[in-house]
Amino acid sequence: MLMPKKVKYRKQQRGRMTGKAWRGSELAFGDYGLKVLEPGWITDRQIEASRVAMTRFVKRGGKIWIRLFPDKPVTKKPAETRMGKGKGAPDHWVAVVRPGKILFEMEGVTPTEAAEAMRLASHKLPLRTSFVKREGTH
Amino acid sequence: MATATENNTLEAQPRVPGTKNDARRVRREGKIPAVLYGAGKDAASLSVDPRQVLRILHSASGHNTIFDLSLNGDERTKAMIVDWQFEPIKGKLLHIDLKRIAMDQKLTVMVPIVLRGEAAGVKQQGGILEQVLREVEIQCLPGDIPASIEADVSELVFGKVLRVADLPHSEKFKILTDENQTVAHVITVKEEVAPAPEAVAAEAGAVAAEPEVIKKGKQETEEEGAEEAVAEKAPKAEKGDKKEKK
Repeated sequence: MLMPKKVKYRKQQRGRMTGKAWRGSELAFGDYGLKVLEPGWITDRQIEASRVAMTRFVKRGGKIWIRLFPDKPVTKKPAETRMGKGKGAPDHWVAVVRPGKILFEMEGVTPTEAAEAMRLASHKLPLRTSFVKREGTH
Repeated sequence: MATATENNTLEAQPRVPGTKNDARRVRREGKIPAVLYGAGKDAASLSVDPRQVLRILHSASGHNTIFDLSLNGDERTKAMIVDWQFEPIKGKLLHIDLKRIAMDQKLTVMVPIVLRGEAAGVKQQGGILEQVLREVEIQCLPGDIPASIEADVSELVFGKVLRVADLPHSEKFKILTDENQTVAHVITVKEEVAPAPEAVAAEAGAVAAEPEVIKKGKQETEEEGAEEAVAEKAPKAEKGDKKEKK
């Protein structure tokens, strides 16, 4: 599962997700990509599940780039615990995404295969997405 | 080689430069804000039709197209699109930067690289052709800008790299990008093997270790740490000696 090697602080506040992804919103590596259309958190497990779904579908046919990293810790209190007594322990990691962000990129496959791989990946994510391709690719 | 100069015109109207609210009003009217600069003249704020701009951007020569900019239908200057912004979700054009072009002065532009042919590494060895560099920076006269630089990759195999130096050069333009930079190569990707169900269950049950927290204050260097470790061991050794003496 993806997570940072070193952090400055163990716990973070939730924060806000206003605005659009002005950076990381265009294809940078591959010919095809998956763009997210709404803001939200994507967990390390969801990223891994999407990656596995894509790689198993394309087999040895294509190269995949993951353009998001879960660098925000999410804490959770143990079950059946009374409220109070401080913030819970770090439980998992999430990537904060804003609409327009490219999540995954792919190269070395046909447009149909790329679209199907991205469709499978999108089913592992909690947000609406759309398939994008570089201008000039058919 | 097709050049970027085409006989097309972009109609523009002058506008009063203002805040983002003014720019929003321009967009609501179906136009987009633009700015014109270069050739030692003052910058001018304009509004242009996004459909005409998109036609230029999607043409064969793309953003390197040199066109006539018509201001209010009378004043005409040669110009080029040097920067453009798209809205990240719907992909609408938001703003463009236009530059006045002097046809007798050399300029620096980015030209796309187009790979031709099927790589032998893909055809025979089952690899994937990865294009690392998609645009190359060149210097040339405005009339000599190529629409694209084509590179033949049919002989590209595993371990062989197509570099900027291997691209077709011409007397009309000078490539400014580093000659050693990789343009394309053939790579292999390992197939993902489905893990055994036991391994999946073990992974699901395992708790991920927390990452290291960066401490505040002065960090110990290796030498300091070693010295401290020696100092800590020394008193213990002395104690041991005392015991022996007893």
